[in-house]
Amino acid sequence: MTDLIGVEIEEEGDVVVARLTGELDIAVAVATGRKIGAAVPSSARGVVVDMSALEFMDSSGVSMLFALARQVGTHRQELRVVAQPGGPVARVLDIVEFERAAPIHADVESAVAAVATPRTSQPPPG
Amino acid sequence: MRELPGLFDVRVKARSLAYLFATGATLGLLTLAFPHADEVRDAPLVALALTAYAISGLVYASADRLRDWQIHAILVAGSLIISLANYYAGPSTLYPLLYMWTALYAFYFFPLREAFAQMAFLAVSYAVVLAVQDPDSVVVRWLLAVGTPLVAGLLISRLLAILHEHSRELQQSEERTRLVLDTAPDAFITLDRDGHITNWNAAAERLFGWSEDEAVGKTMRELIVPPEFRERHEERRRALIASESPLATERFDVEFQRRDGGRFPGEATVSKVEARGDVFVSGFITDSTERLRRQAEREALLREQTARAEAERMAEIVGGMQALVDAALAHRSLDLILRDLVDQVRGVLDADTAAIYLADENGRLTRGASAPGDQAGGEGFAARVAESREATLARDDSLIGVPLLAEGEVTGVLVAGGEPTREFGDEDLTLLRLAAARVGLAIAHARVYEREHRIAETLQRSLLPDRLPDLPGLEVAARYLPAASEAEVGGDWYDVIPIAGGAVGLVMGDVAGKGLAGASMVGRLRSALRAYALEGHDAGRVVERLNRLLWTEAEESQMATMLYVIIDPAASVVRWVNAGHPPPLVIAGGEARFLEREASVPLGVLPFPTYEEVLEPLEPGSTLLLYTDGLIERPGEHIDDGLAQLAARVSEAPEDPHGLLDHLLATLVPAAGAADDVALLTLRNLPIPDRFSAEFPSEPESLAAIRSMLRRWLSHAGADDIEVAEITTACGEAATNAIEHAGTGNGSRFEVSGRRDGADVEIAVRDRGSWRPERDDDHGRGLALMRTLMDSVAVEPSGEGTIVSLRRTLGQRGGAA
Repeated sequence: MTDLIGVEIEEEGDVVVARLTGELDIAVAVATGRKIGAAVPSSARGVVVDMSALEFMDSSGVSMLFALARQVGTHRQELRVVAQPGGPVARVLDIVEFERAAPIHADVESAVAAVATPRTSQPPPG
Repeated sequence: MRELPGLFDVRVKARSLAYLFATGATLGLLTLAFPHADEVRDAPLVALALTAYAISGLVYASADRLRDWQIHAILVAGSLIISLANYYAGPSTLYPLLYMWTALYAFYFFPLREAFAQMAFLAVSYAVVLAVQDPDSVVVRWLLAVGTPLVAGLLISRLLAILHEHSRELQQSEERTRLVLDTAPDAFITLDRDGHITNWNAAAERLFGWSEDEAVGKTMRELIVPPEFRERHEERRRALIASESPLATERFDVEFQRRDGGRFPGEATVSKVEARGDVFVSGFITDSTERLRRQAEREALLREQTARAEAERMAEIVGGMQALVDAALAHRSLDLILRDLVDQVRGVLDADTAAIYLADENGRLTRGASAPGDQAGGEGFAARVAESREATLARDDSLIGVPLLAEGEVTGVLVAGGEPTREFGDEDLTLLRLAAARVGLAIAHARVYEREHRIAETLQRSLLPDRLPDLPGLEVAARYLPAASEAEVGGDWYDVIPIAGGAVGLVMGDVAGKGLAGASMVGRLRSALRAYALEGHDAGRVVERLNRLLWTEAEESQMATMLYVIIDPAASVVRWVNAGHPPPLVIAGGEARFLEREASVPLGVLPFPTYEEVLEPLEPGSTLLLYTDGLIERPGEHIDDGLAQLAARVSEAPEDPHGLLDHLLATLVPAAGAADDVALLTLRNLPIPDRFSAEFPSEPESLAAIRSMLRRWLSHAGADDIEVAEITTACGEAATNAIEHAGTGNGSRFEVSGRRDGADVEIAVRDRGSWRPERDDDHGRGLALMRTLMDSVAVEPSGEGTIVSLRRTLGQRGGAA
């Protein structure tokens, strides 16, 4: 069956933005995580995963995000996630308390701006 | 009046004369035996008798050759002998008796004048004898001498009167014959034995220009036979006279000469006639000029007919050749060309069998087609023909073969065979030679075309989904029917694209380009559409982007019509965009209706057209049908008629999607195949039951289908968007667990079932693996999600597997939980 996931990678300055569309489940989660991870150069300050247009995500998607958070953390890079407030994705992230691993933004602009601005404190490890 | 030939035949006259002499001589000798006078002198009497005997013998022997004057002369000689004998024998009654016989003979055989002349001579010679013997009794003896013949003459003239009566009848008969001959259209000529003309009828006068009086007595040589033929004429005449047969008849084609020197071809039918001891020749002569002219005309006509037959035969050869060439050019499919060709060859050559062998790249021959049916053998002969590169006969001319050449290469060999008695000839070789070049070229073209056609069709097929996705609550069926082989493979395409959120995109399109170019454009549009659809654009934007792609990237001004329909089964609505394509059809409650909105322009026509999507309900239980124009367009028929036909056929078709499509193909596509490609795609929004149970393979790919199914079922059960999303997510976690328990790739399956009781929904996921305790964060999160999102979650071992039951009462949580 056709992949239901769409991944678009863009770079805004030294921030990598990965825009996901479609549905993220166990069938595509690992591959999607690898694709995003590989797109982040060591020179990048961080990565923003834009899930605002993602229609569905389950726990495997959450696992992918946690894994991604660990990966960028080891390179002292930042991960920020964008989810539409009140949407199904935000609901899932809320239930699994993803905020503990990385900040969740309502829009891409604020997420990118937050990464571009150096911060003093590191987010707690996932 | 002339003496009639043959009335007194000369032989009869001569032989009678011979008897007369012999009798006279015998009587003379008898008077010696009984002498009654002293002065009888024996020696002269004996000598006279012997002379008479001799003359008698000579006359008898030469009876055939004697002529009338000779008979007269012999008769005079006879008279002299009698008179001499009378002189030597003295007065005797015997001699007057001899005189009388002589007179009788003369009167019998000669005309009266000649007879009297003979009598006069006889009387003179008798009177001389009397005067010498006894001058005293001269008066008595004169009286006796004259009186006796006169009495005899009277008697004879009486007899002759009777004979004349008979002869007149003969003459009348003769005159009738003569009249007939004179009025006869053909010249009639008789010749006596010496070749003198004795008869010359009126037709002969007209034909030759000589009158009867001029001709009679002359010979044909003198009058009518051209000089160079005279010798031959004479030979023939003699041969005819000498022939044994009494009635020999011969026919000659000879040239004759007229009096004026003009010549003409004639035909002479001549007969030898023997009658009453005489021999003569009769002949009919006709002018053959007319006959020969007619014959020449007949021959000319015959030549013309022969020439026409020859021309017709040539026309037949050319026609036969044309039939073969036509067969080669009539089709674009190699298979059809070959099959048609072998049939034509059999007909044109009147052959029993025909076969075509095709050469591959290495020149090896394989049988392409044969008629009738499958004929074995012949490869050896075909190989010889290919090697010689010449039209060839074999097996006592009952086998004929010709190489098919294209650009100097042997592309194949055509072979025809007949019964052992059948002989093919030069005409057949000529015919095949003429046809071979063009047929060879046509076959070569067809093979190139065939290869391209095959590639295009393969490409086209590869672009169509080989398997339609299993869509929960939806039943989908599709058909693609390439045009009957003559036409090129079209740019028809369809696709079924699952879209995030449980929706399904249906595509039906028709790219104007054909063959490879068309197929490759289909490929690009198809992958672009799949990408755009996944990016979550609405239908209008997807089609606009496809238009942009076609507008900017198509090499020539390429065009495509397409229909893009998104079905959201959860909401039971369709959103659709039509870019110049025939309208889709919705079948609901046995009624068929077209989704008739004004179609927008086809793709590739304008740079920036706007495509607006249209929303239509698609109630559970109704069916959507998409198709390409190949289904509704028929030559000479208005498109509206095609659409009406389609609607009518759809109304009577079974509800089942496969049954529907089969019915449409069976009733709308001609048996010989469609002129254009036909693509059909149908989707049935299945009725939604309160309970469901479905099995899925233990594969991650099953998850999307389960979500689609659940969204649709939950929407129908009255769940709001958030409830749909949350319950779907929870069930997805349970299903993920089931898949992980079974392990992937081993063909095992698990079951998802659901039931609804008022606002209470319960969904169960049953697998055949064993429930594993939560070992890591992932599974912990899964179970946490289930527990949070549902009112209750129960995990029970069941037989060899596990059942996870999830319950929730709808409308209880109020907004986001």
